Amino acid sequence: MNELFNLAPLILVFPIIGVLFNGLVGRRFVDHDRKTGERWSGWFATIMALSAFVVVVLLNLALHANHFHAETVMLWDWIVIPGQGLSIPWAMQIDTLSVAMMLVVTGVGSIIHIYSIGYMHGDPDYSRYFAYLNLFLFFMLILVAGNNYLVLFVGWEGVGLCSYLLIGFWHERLAKDGTMKNANAARKAMIANRVGDAAMILGIILTFWVFGSVEFNHVFEEAIHIFESHEEMVTLVSTNIEMAFSTALFAITVLFLIAATGKSAQLVLHVWLPDAMAGPTPASSLIHAATMVTSGIYLIVRSNVLYELSRALSVHSGTISSSDIVALVGASTALYAGLIAFTQYDIKKVLAYSTVSQLGFMIAAAGMGAYVAAMFHLITHAFFKALLFMGAGSVIHGMEHGHHEVAHGHHGHDDDGFDPQDMRYMGGLRKLMPVTFWTYLVGALALAGIFPFAGFWSKDEILAHANANQGEYGLFLVLFILLALAAVCTAFYMGRQLRMVFWGQPRHEAARHAHESSPIMTFPLVLLAVFGTVAGLFNLPKVLTLEFGWSLTLEHWLEHSIQTFELMEEGILAHVPHTPTSLIVEVAALSLGLALVSMGLAFYVYRDKPKTAADPDPTQKIPGLWSVFGRLPIDSFYMKLLVPWFNRFSAWLGFKFEWSFWHDFFHERVIRDTFVWFADLSANVLDAQGVDGIVNGLGSVTRWLADGIRVSQTGYARTYALSVFLGTVVLLIYFLWPYVMR
Amino acid sequence: MESEFNGLLTLLTFFPLVGVLILLLWRGVSDTQIKWTAIITSAVTLVISVVVLASFRAGDPGLQMVDRAAWIPSWGISYYMGIDGISILMVLLTTIISLLAIISSWSAIETQVKQYYIFMLLLQVGMMGVFLAQDMFLFYVFWEFTLIPMYFLIGIWGGGRRVYAAIKFFLYTMAGSLLMLLAILYMGLQTDPITFAIPDLVAQRATFAGVQNLLFIGFFVAFAIKVPIFPFHSWLPDAHTEAPTAGSVILAGILLKMGTYGLIRFNLPLFPQASADFAPYIAVLAIIGIIYGAIVAFAQQDVKKLVAYSSISHLGFVVLGIFSLTAAGVQGGILQGFNHGISSGALFFIVGILYEQRHTREMKEYGGIWKVMPVFSVLTLIIVLSSMGLPGLNGFVGEFTILLGSMGAATFAPAWIYTAFAVTGVILAAVYLLWMFQRVFLGPVTVEANNKLRDINTRDLFVMCVFLLFVFWVGIAPSGFFNLMDTSVTTLLADMNVPELAQRVATFALLGQ
Repeated sequence: MNELFNLAPLILVFPIIGVLFNGLVGRRFVDHDRKTGERWSGWFATIMALSAFVVVVLLNLALHANHFHAETVMLWDWIVIPGQGLSIPWAMQIDTLSVAMMLVVTGVGSIIHIYSIGYMHGDPDYSRYFAYLNLFLFFMLILVAGNNYLVLFVGWEGVGLCSYLLIGFWHERLAKDGTMKNANAARKAMIANRVGDAAMILGIILTFWVFGSVEFNHVFEEAIHIFESHEEMVTLVSTNIEMAFSTALFAITVLFLIAATGKSAQLVLHVWLPDAMAGPTPASSLIHAATMVTSGIYLIVRSNVLYELSRALSVHSGTISSSDIVALVGASTALYAGLIAFTQYDIKKVLAYSTVSQLGFMIAAAGMGAYVAAMFHLITHAFFKALLFMGAGSVIHGMEHGHHEVAHGHHGHDDDGFDPQDMRYMGGLRKLMPVTFWTYLVGALALAGIFPFAGFWSKDEILAHANANQGEYGLFLVLFILLALAAVCTAFYMGRQLRMVFWGQPRHEAARHAHESSPIMTFPLVLLAVFGTVAGLFNLPKVLTLEFGWSLTLEHWLEHSIQTFELMEEGILAHVPHTPTSLIVEVAALSLGLALVSMGLAFYVYRDKPKTAADPDPTQKIPGLWSVFGRLPIDSFYMKLLVPWFNRFSAWLGFKFEWSFWHDFFHERVIRDTFVWFADLSANVLDAQGVDGIVNGLGSVTRWLADGIRVSQTGYARTYALSVFLGTVVLLIYFLWPYVMR
Repeated sequence: MESEFNGLLTLLTFFPLVGVLILLLWRGVSDTQIKWTAIITSAVTLVISVVVLASFRAGDPGLQMVDRAAWIPSWGISYYMGIDGISILMVLLTTIISLLAIISSWSAIETQVKQYYIFMLLLQVGMMGVFLAQDMFLFYVFWEFTLIPMYFLIGIWGGGRRVYAAIKFFLYTMAGSLLMLLAILYMGLQTDPITFAIPDLVAQRATFAGVQNLLFIGFFVAFAIKVPIFPFHSWLPDAHTEAPTAGSVILAGILLKMGTYGLIRFNLPLFPQASADFAPYIAVLAIIGIIYGAIVAFAQQDVKKLVAYSSISHLGFVVLGIFSLTAAGVQGGILQGFNHGISSGALFFIVGILYEQRHTREMKEYGGIWKVMPVFSVLTLIIVLSSMGLPGLNGFVGEFTILLGSMGAATFAPAWIYTAFAVTGVILAAVYLLWMFQRVFLGPVTVEANNKLRDINTRDLFVMCVFLLFVFWVGIAPSGFFNLMDTSVTTLLADMNVPELAQRVATFALLGQ
């Protein structure tokens, strides 16, 4: 094992040092001297992120030297119960897949740290922000580095926590109607994620019982072993309980899918992501666009063996496989979110729905067995979507500054409705914010899938995969159509956004006075724009007969950790959908053509509309679009039906049932009053009749005892206690009599 | 009966009496001196418990460091103390929480200070005795004894309805224990020669196997009230809300664990067949408790009541783990008892810090506390997350192992349905805890009085740091904790010797495939 692998724990150590620095002393620095303090706080966190990045690069070199063989770095035992055969370590798995994710996380993460130094300037909680950002890196790296499902889950919930903290970063800001919108958004994200997480816990537990371990390699080896031996039933570890193997696989993979729908914002748990835009924009960029939300894709790609075995078993039996469900969920989400993006005015919400839609692409790709394409799109998307979000942040910054200037210059200007994120107030920013504009344009073209930007290559690979395998898998035709339509939507809403924000006339004074952001913010944009342009090279297909040295780099890199490739080669899996290795010209031309037409159409439709901020959107004429998708049907179901119902039920259960009925009525009226009645009876009737001396004696002892503990003013308690005691004494005597006599 | 005397456990149990004696005999003692006497006494007890831990051999399934002497020979009653893997964590929990509770009372208790600390120390004796007694009669004495100091702690230093709450607590618990007393007497008298020593009774359990269902119920009701298992929980919200902060900390932290401990110590080994037969029904009650406690907690306006109902939910997990009758489930259950002591103890302590300054527990009186008390709020958030079961913190380790154990339970048919229902508790915990956190800590400050709140002081910070130490320790490196329990629990389960558990019939059906 290469010695460099021993550096792996450092990728966790650096961020946690950053958390401790900013969490414990950062605030004092900032409060003491704003300018130097901010520099210390921001750059310390950034340097920790960069250091982690350097370590990841070294791990990358180590993998090269190790001929791409995975290595496990053991840290220490975590949950070990010998009596149950349960042993879960804190261990890191360094392989090509995890390192690819780490590169994205620390690379894009570092750039966003730099950008944040400028963006968060002047915020009273400057150091707290950077502590959260470092904490996020820490958990995200745990997520991708863990060698088993439970360590993955630590990162999984940890990034959820950071997401909660960052969405609610400005928790004291209220909506116009006085609701705590930011805190509510944070809570919504956490709870929606927890639904997925609950499924994940179940999935992990079932994995343990079926395979006897939760470590990736053991689980996959065992799964392949069972598959190869053609056993229909599996015996759960250390029990005699039997379970059909196909059922077990299906259940585990569907549970993991539910987990992924939570974290990666897929139908029907996607509702938290658009609300999550309440957080600071760079945080949205890092967490809610580039990295955390792709965890679901990572989970499915990591579990590729299980999904492929499930597909193979279902091809055999003719039932629907969990992979098919994954792909359907992804493709439907891609289209559904793409349509909603038409109806959004908030510049960040458009991007948020676009993220949901693109994540749908990745999930669909993973479900179709195009694991490399899924990862490819994940990587390119990380670059261009981070770019877009930070560009949007720059636009919002510019608008806020413009608004400030206007507010100072003009007096009595009515600005009640102004929102720096609302695209209706923007327009014509192209000239005022040139760097932001050009970089944003790159990002938008990449997202829309325009040649030669990064998104074109990765999206095309997914479409080509769906197209190439539709002969064998009938479902793939449906998926292809859904995804192609989603791609059309993408180009349209990005065209609309570009046109509304950067072209035309400013529709508000603030937009007229906006100006370019500082270099610390624009430099990261340029950097990401470069990646957004060239990232397609990571997995360039063979074009016609041309093959470059770097063609299919990512595929060659990832095939060392995506075991499906190995299973195909060894012939264990016969039915695996193949991704075409060369560019399919028809598909590429179709997707490019659709994107260009769609984007052009958007520019045409929005050429002079809306003229003023109050004008309606031209697409409102399309029947059903605004009235169905614009109203966020699934969101409404939760927020208008499910949540109020739960609140009412909880109030009923808590006050009516638990308190009025069970606590007051049953205990006070039924039980206590019955005893009081019984006590009266025994005291006044039985006692008065005069039983024999022993009982009298006992009675007075109890009476004395009862007096002793009597603090009550009511007097009921005494009789209550007395009756309990008397009853017991009678029972005891009856019961013990034979033994005492013996 | 052979006598044996190591003395360590006796010292551990009765050492707080030294403090009680000093307080009783010390004329003209000042309040500060009283507090320090109590703290030092409790701290020394903690040190003794660490010595016990150091002398504990984890690989030995039997009782260790035994003290045994005849007490009432004609009735077969002995003074019999011992420790094993089932009780060791509870013993440590008792000494830790008791010390923290005593420290946290420093400024909260202003009247009748001497009596207060005497009761606290007496309570510690009682609780320690419960976890160490190996003779049922002795156990029962300690068990009932804990009621008296707790009764006075609630009744004298409690809130507005303290007298009502104290009496309800006393009578409710006592009523349950009486059935247990009957069961104890019956069992002891069945044996020949008469004995009340638990290991002897376990060895002779065949003599009363015929009526084990009744005996099981006798014990179960006593413990179910103590835990409390739904629907025996009605005393808990009253006692918790009215008790002084330290009382709530001890109540949640230790007294409730006496119930879960009793289930493992008595019900499982003495009545194995009944345990296996009742297990699925008790598991259903436990799961109802998980969900019911969480939903009712969500409805609360009083933050202390919310924490009280959350205990019902959390203890549901513990009971589910125990009656899964799997190694992971039972060990997870014991560990989760420990975890709940830490997390809920800390939560009550947190509420106490706020209450001391504002004298209200209504959540609408708070809001925006993060801005005024940042350090306190961050520490609270970590405790809230621990209670929510965030992986990497203590609560998760317990919950996960319990859920894992429950899915392998042979008597639940089919087990995955139990687990699937129980796991909703994980979602609901986020629902009510985050709502509580938002209402109290997030947003702008809306009530003027809150602007004057002082952030956490050094003494409280120390207490919180001890809680946090265990939150992270159990969360990150729990294998040592499992190691302490594993041999005893595995032996206990193996000795139950119930055919259903051994055979594990094929009941694992899913989706009907």
